[in-house]
Amino acid sequence: MDLQLSAAQEAFRRAVCDLLCEGSVRDEVAALRRLPPDAEPGLLDVYRRLGERGWLASNWPAEHGGLGSSIVEKAILTEQMIVHGIPDVVHTLTVDIVGLAIQVMGTEAQKQQWLPGLAAGTSLGSVLLTEPEIGSDLSGLSTRAEPDGDGWRLYGRKVYSLKSQFADFALCAARTTESEVRFHGITVFIVPMHAPGVRVEPLWSMSDERFNEVVLSGIRMTPDDVLGRVDDGWQVLHDLLGIERTGIEFEAKARRLLDAVLDEAERTGSIEDGHYGELLVELDAEVRAGQLLAWRALGGMVSGELDDVQCAMAKWHTTETGRRISELSPEICGLTALLSARDDEAAPGWLLESAFRDAPGLTIASGTSEVMLSLIASAGLNLLK
Amino acid sequence: MQITLSEAQLAVRDRFAQLVDEELTPSIRRMGERPRTGSSSDVEELRQMVWAALTDLGATRLLLPDRHGGEAAGQQDAVVLAELLGSALYQGPLLDTMTATEILLAEGSSGKLLERIAEGAPVALAVRESGSDSPAAPGRIEVDDGQATARRRFVTYAADAEYLCLVGVASGELACAITARDHPTVSLRRQQDTGRGELYDVALQRTPVLAMPIGFARAWPAVLAGARLRQAGYLVGLCQAALTLAVERVNTRRQFGQLIGRFQAPAFTLAAAATRIDGACWLVRATAWEADQGADIRLRAAQALAMAADLSRTVLASVMQVHGAYGMTEEAEAQLFYRRAAIERGWLGSPRALRAEVLPLLLTQRQSDRLG
Repeated sequence: MDLQLSAAQEAFRRAVCDLLCEGSVRDEVAALRRLPPDAEPGLLDVYRRLGERGWLASNWPAEHGGLGSSIVEKAILTEQMIVHGIPDVVHTLTVDIVGLAIQVMGTEAQKQQWLPGLAAGTSLGSVLLTEPEIGSDLSGLSTRAEPDGDGWRLYGRKVYSLKSQFADFALCAARTTESEVRFHGITVFIVPMHAPGVRVEPLWSMSDERFNEVVLSGIRMTPDDVLGRVDDGWQVLHDLLGIERTGIEFEAKARRLLDAVLDEAERTGSIEDGHYGELLVELDAEVRAGQLLAWRALGGMVSGELDDVQCAMAKWHTTETGRRISELSPEICGLTALLSARDDEAAPGWLLESAFRDAPGLTIASGTSEVMLSLIASAGLNLLK
Repeated sequence: MQITLSEAQLAVRDRFAQLVDEELTPSIRRMGERPRTGSSSDVEELRQMVWAALTDLGATRLLLPDRHGGEAAGQQDAVVLAELLGSALYQGPLLDTMTATEILLAEGSSGKLLERIAEGAPVALAVRESGSDSPAAPGRIEVDDGQATARRRFVTYAADAEYLCLVGVASGELACAITARDHPTVSLRRQQDTGRGELYDVALQRTPVLAMPIGFARAWPAVLAGARLRQAGYLVGLCQAALTLAVERVNTRRQFGQLIGRFQAPAFTLAAAATRIDGACWLVRATAWEADQGADIRLRAAQALAMAADLSRTVLASVMQVHGAYGMTEEAEAQLFYRRAAIERGWLGSPRALRAEVLPLLLTQRQSDRLG
């Protein structure tokens, strides 16, 4: 066991921290907090600045815009962005999920086409997976890829897609072959979002970041647009969702949120209440335990032995903890916790209220808590069989 | 950053796993029981054999530095051993002896006592005058003319101990006094407890004090933190083993035409328990690593113990539930874990008391982080 970063990793952490503490970055973050309710951040200047240093996707090879570092540096960047309050959804979606999937499963041509822009912070990728009535059960998706010459045309409706209104392309799961085995016959396509046959409409939600409904009405795909193999999309989705689940961003969010609750509890004096004081000590320990589980899961990626059960444990633990902190924040901090950041009396950087609205999504997105428990029970404990 | 066991920790685990193997573990789990009928000599013989084996394998030398013939192994190795002991539901004086070792080491002398411990002399920690006392709020000791008078209840394995390590308040100061256990002025009464352990009510009446570590009050918080961390490791091991019993049970027990492990309700409950146990396990191990780097672990050790203690309650409730009525029978090991966990989880402070105690440390740490 060694809980210290190497000297090089620590230097990287400090360098990232220094950049994210610069006045121009702080000004950009502050401006984002004043956005009107129907606006949200897409690509940010700070992404571009991280990208030009090769830091945004540091674990990718230099020819794809990274530094060729390990996934640890990438995790450090994620933690630092969250600690410094940089909106991270675009980054997580674009680099950690979409980009990494192409990095791991894409052809060289796909990597050359899509990755440099993502790594530079000038391009954005999203995912088009779930559909109305599908939820977590992607084997039942109804978006179809109809044969068209040497390719396909996509028809269907995807929902709950984040940031697709800004995306240049998206990973989209569609059924290419009808099969009695529901997991067979799904293919993942790389869909250009600005092409004819793709329409993005808002699905307003209680979160600051809207969902999108994406209607696919005949956009043409070629074999070059397939990620992985035709009809083998289930494996791609499995690997893709595994990539999502090291829990690093969730543990960092839980830490930031708990720190905010502690700040407010200290300010109001509620921490002096024995019950809340003890509760906060307990939550602090849970956040730490989740951080360790997330870094252990990440260690599996470093050694090339990604462990599905460890990833599921990290995702379940960190998101359950984050949700619990959010749900308890109004009780610990009083009604102030429920004042929007747009309220005249909200402190700079106030995040408790938006975190409260985001909380249910923690245990739903990237694989629900129930899916995680199924995975742990079946693959880890040999149950449910 | 590497969240895995080190080679040294794996070696410690392999070394002591010889003792807590499949053959011996069922007996060790019932080592503290007194037979309902007949002689208890078999159990006593087993206890002595286990202690001798632990000593031979180096358990009492683990935390001792080289100059006392020890391994200078540190907390990382100690918690791995504690996990193993918990999984075997070991009852005996080892964890108390380790704490006494650290008390004596903090004083920087008492070479003779440390030498005896290294050779295998067991020490029983004597803290509670009443059941509501705890190591953070111990009972009274009267020390007069080199002799100690005190009453201590809930002293584990006092009958097997060579020394008693009294922790308490003497003349308004936190103090520690070490005495021989077999002195004629020491009387023992075995208590009847739910864990069927070896707990004793001990009375000392002007018992000669062999050592009274100077500066104990200053050293005690750090020593107690180490003890709490090892206790947390013990509870994690206990929870892991209890979970294993539950998984075995639901994978063999059929109800309503199928294995009960196929139902989501028990499967999800056990999956959540496995995850929380894993989180607590790594919190313990990480805190041990920090201790070995010289960090102040009072906050993290108390948090880890509180977490493990809470888990031992919730996990054992689930373990009993999935066993059904069978789990309550004498034959079932589940009830042994259920009963023992109730004793062990409050041993070094209740979860609530632990968290209340270290809240100021959390606030101080935050203040320090802000300044840093």
